[in-house]
Amino acid sequence: MAVSLTVNGDERSLNIEGDTPLLWVLRDELGLKGTKFGCGAGLCGACTVHLNGQPVRSCSTPVEMAAGGDVVTIEGLGEGSRLHALQDAWIEHGVPQCGYCQSGQIMSAAHLLASNPAPSREEIVAAMTGNLCRCGTYSRIIAAVESVVADTSDGAQGGAA
Amino acid sequence: MAMNRRNFLKVSAGASGSLMVSVTLPGCAGIQTGYEPDTGEWRPDAWLELTADDEVFFTLARVEMGQGTYTGLTTLIAEELEIQPERITPRFAPVAPEYRNPLYKLQLTGGSTSVATSWEPLRTAGAEARQMLVMAAARVWNVEATECRASEGRVVHPNGIDSMAYGQLVELAAKEVLRGDIALKPQSEWKYIGKQRGKLDARAKSTGTAVYGIDVDLPDMVYGVVSRPPRRGGRVRDINADQVRAMTGVLDVFEIERGVAVVADKYWRARKAQDALKIDWDFSDAVSLSTGDVFDSYRAAADDDPGESERSEGSFASAMEEGDRVVEAEYAQPYLAHATLEPMNATAWYREDGMEVWAPTQAPDLGRIAAARVTNLGPDDITINTTFLGGGFGRRLTQDYIEEAAAVAYRVGRPVKVIWSREEDTRHDLYRPAMLHRMKASLSGAELTGWHHQIVGPQILDWYVRNAAPAQYPWAPKFMYDTLGSVGLMAEGIATPKDHSAIEGAIEYPYRVPNIDIRHTHTDPGIPITWWRSVGFSHNGFAVETFMDELAHEAGEDPYQFRRRLIAHEPRHLEVLDRVVKLADWQSPVPEGRAWGLALFRSFGTYVAQVVEAGIENGAIRVYKVTCSVDCGQVVNPRIVEDQIEGGILFGLTAALYGEITLENGEVQQSNFHDYPLMRQYERPEVLVDIVASSESPTGVGEPGVPPVIPALGNALFALNGKRQRSLPLKANA
Repeated sequence: MAVSLTVNGDERSLNIEGDTPLLWVLRDELGLKGTKFGCGAGLCGACTVHLNGQPVRSCSTPVEMAAGGDVVTIEGLGEGSRLHALQDAWIEHGVPQCGYCQSGQIMSAAHLLASNPAPSREEIVAAMTGNLCRCGTYSRIIAAVESVVADTSDGAQGGAA
Repeated sequence: MAMNRRNFLKVSAGASGSLMVSVTLPGCAGIQTGYEPDTGEWRPDAWLELTADDEVFFTLARVEMGQGTYTGLTTLIAEELEIQPERITPRFAPVAPEYRNPLYKLQLTGGSTSVATSWEPLRTAGAEARQMLVMAAARVWNVEATECRASEGRVVHPNGIDSMAYGQLVELAAKEVLRGDIALKPQSEWKYIGKQRGKLDARAKSTGTAVYGIDVDLPDMVYGVVSRPPRRGGRVRDINADQVRAMTGVLDVFEIERGVAVVADKYWRARKAQDALKIDWDFSDAVSLSTGDVFDSYRAAADDDPGESERSEGSFASAMEEGDRVVEAEYAQPYLAHATLEPMNATAWYREDGMEVWAPTQAPDLGRIAAARVTNLGPDDITINTTFLGGGFGRRLTQDYIEEAAAVAYRVGRPVKVIWSREEDTRHDLYRPAMLHRMKASLSGAELTGWHHQIVGPQILDWYVRNAAPAQYPWAPKFMYDTLGSVGLMAEGIATPKDHSAIEGAIEYPYRVPNIDIRHTHTDPGIPITWWRSVGFSHNGFAVETFMDELAHEAGEDPYQFRRRLIAHEPRHLEVLDRVVKLADWQSPVPEGRAWGLALFRSFGTYVAQVVEAGIENGAIRVYKVTCSVDCGQVVNPRIVEDQIEGGILFGLTAALYGEITLENGEVQQSNFHDYPLMRQYERPEVLVDIVASSESPTGVGEPGVPPVIPALGNALFALNGKRQRSLPLKANA
C-alpha cells in the first residue's frame, strides 16, 4: 500500500505492506538506524519514537497506523545541528555504556519533559521504567534527566530575578 | 564481481565517521608499519597512525561493548603520546596477530583483561611514537631532543615558544631510530589517566549515529532469518520450501547446518515467510532433558564421583572427625541467558575473492574460523569488520551467529544480514551453565576448622575449544579443525590453558582455614554453554559467600566479624571489607522491615565487598541500597570504573531476582523479556561505589561487581526472615 508520513519534518512516501512495523520502515526504507530493534514486542523500549507527539514502540506499530502521522526519531530530536538538551546531558554525564538502548531512553525522556518540564524523581522513574538497559545505566539516566530539569528551572528563576 | 576494496570499505564507514580500513593480510603477516608518502600516513606500530594532516588514529584491538575500552585504551596511548584523548580517532581492529590478547593467544575481548593486558604495551607504543616525534623536531631545530618536550599534540622547542604539530613531523619521525627503552611517565605526571573525563563514544551513542552490527548497510543487501530446531540435535526432515519461495520478496529458502534459512529483500518479508514455513523436525537424536533431569544427573554424578581435587590443604577428613560439628549445604543455580539488548546478528558477503563479514563480535579471529567451517574458504580469505557491540557479556565470544550468516551468504552471493528475533536470541543462546555445589564445613566451637567444596557441572572450554583451537593455529588445514579442538582439550595446560571456568572463585577460597578440600565433579548434560559475565565466579561466589554466612550464624558470630577474623592475613580483602562496613554503617540499626547482607569476593584480580539492604514489599523482594568498596589497582577512568561496578551489580541482581532458563523435554521455556525479565528503572537500588586509591597494577572491572551481590542479597533475606535460600533465583515467599 502507499503510505505517506512526516519523518523528522520531511514528507516521506513509500509503497509497502501496511503491517510492516514502523521500526523497519524507519531503519531500512528511510535509513534512520538510530532507532533500535530490541524485542519486537514492545517490552524493552529500544525502538521508542514519537508519533504525533506521543512515545510509541515502533517495533509494534504497523506503518499503516502511522500513515499521515508526524514521526520524530533520535535523528530529528535536536534542532538543526543543535542537539536536544537531553542529548547534551547524556554526553556530559557519560550515560551510555554499550549505548544500544539509549536512543529509546532519550526519546522517552524527551516526551516526559515535553509534557512535564519539571517532573519529580518519582515521575522520571515512572516515565523511564518502560525502557530496559542491560548494562545498568539507570542511575546516570536519572542524573542526566534531572540535570536538564534543574537547568530549565534555574533558567526560569534567572529570568525572573 | 570485481570489487574495489577501498571503495567497498567506504560503505562500512565506522561510527567515528572514518574509514574502517581493513589492512589486507596475506597469510599470517602482521600489520605493515612505516611511512606511506602517497597518503602522508605514518604507522609507527600496529596501533597508531599519524597523518600529515595532523590526524591521529588508534586501532582498538579490544572491542567496545559498553565496558569502556573505546575511552580507556585510547586514554592509555594518549597519555604517553602526549595528546588529548579527544583528538584521537579510535577504529576497530582487523584480525591480525598483533591484536591477540596475550593471555589467550586469541584476538578476543573478555575476562576483564583489556586494561590489564594493554597497560604496558599501549603506553609503551605511545611513548615510542612520541619520542620519535621529539627526535625529529630536535633534528629540525638542531637542538638536543632531551631539551624538547611534547604536549597536546605538539613538540615544543627548548625556548618554550616555538612548536611543531605532530602532523608536520610524521615524515621525519618515521626515519628516526629509537635506542634503548623509553621510560614511561610516573603516576605523578599523568594528565589523563585516573582523571575524570568524558567517554569518547558518548556523543555517537546519544545521537543514534554509533554503528552496531545490526546497523550495517550494504548496497544490494538482503535479509536472512533462520529457523533452528526447537530441541538441540533436531534435524530437518521436510520443509514446504516451494510454498514459501512464492511469497512476496522471498529470494530463497534452504537448509543450512543450523536450521532453515529464509532470505528476502526486506526483513519483515523474511519474518512473514518464516511464519509460513512448516518444518517437519526429526527429533530422534535430539536433547529431551528437562531442567529437573539436569539437576538429577548432577546429584547422581556427585554421589558417584567425589571429583578431581583442585585444592587440598591439611586433612578435611581429620577436621571432620576432630571438630564438634559438621555443617552441610547444597546450592543450585540455573541456566542463564545473556540477553544482550542488541540481538545476535551478522552481515556477510561472499564474493569470488573471499568473504567479508560485519559483526558485533568479541572474538573476530574465531569468527573467521566459524565462517571458514561452512564455506570452502580458509581463514585468510575471510575479513571480519567489527562494529560497536550492543552488549556482549560473553555471548559474543561464541561465533555461531557468524557461522550462520556465512552459511547463508555463501549460498546467496550478495550481502545478507541475518538478524535473530528476541525469542530466537533467548531460546538459542549458549547459557551460563546450571551448577550444583555441595559444601561441608567443620567447626570446633566458633572456629572454622575445615572447608569442603564439591563443584558439580560442565566446563566451558569443552564447548569453546571447537573454534578457539583452530584460531590459535590459523595456518592449519581445515580438516584439522576438529582434531585441533580435541587436542586442545587433551593437552589442557599445554596447548590450551587449564579450564578454570567451573572452579574459579572456589579454588581461590581466601579465608584462613587449616583444612581445605576443593573438588570438581565434571559432568555435562549436553546443553550449550558459554562465558557469561563473571563466568565461574558467578556461581561459586554465591556458594562460597552464602555458606560463609551460614557458618557465621552457626558460630554465633556477626557475619562481618566472622569474615574479618579469617581474612586478617589478606590486606586488600580486609581493606574493602572494613571500608564497606563503615560506609554502610553496618553496626547501626537497620531501618524497620529491612535487613542487611554482606559478601566479600575477589575476581579477575579485583577485590569487592558489598552490603545489600533489602526487604520484601507487596510480596516481592525489594533491594533498596547496595554499598560497594572496590580495589582494582590503578584507575584509568574513575567514571567507567563506577559504571562497570554499578552495571555489574544490576546484572547480578537481575540474575538473583529473575534469572532462570528452564528446559521442558529439551525445549527452552523462556523467550522474551516478559518471561526472562531484566531489572527495570523503578526497581533500581541506590548504588554507592567506593574506589580504593591504589598504586597496584590495574585489574578488571567489567565483571567483579557481579558475583558478590547475589549472595549479599540472599544473606540479607536470611537476616530478614531467617529463611536460607540455597537455589536461585531468590524468592520472596521462600
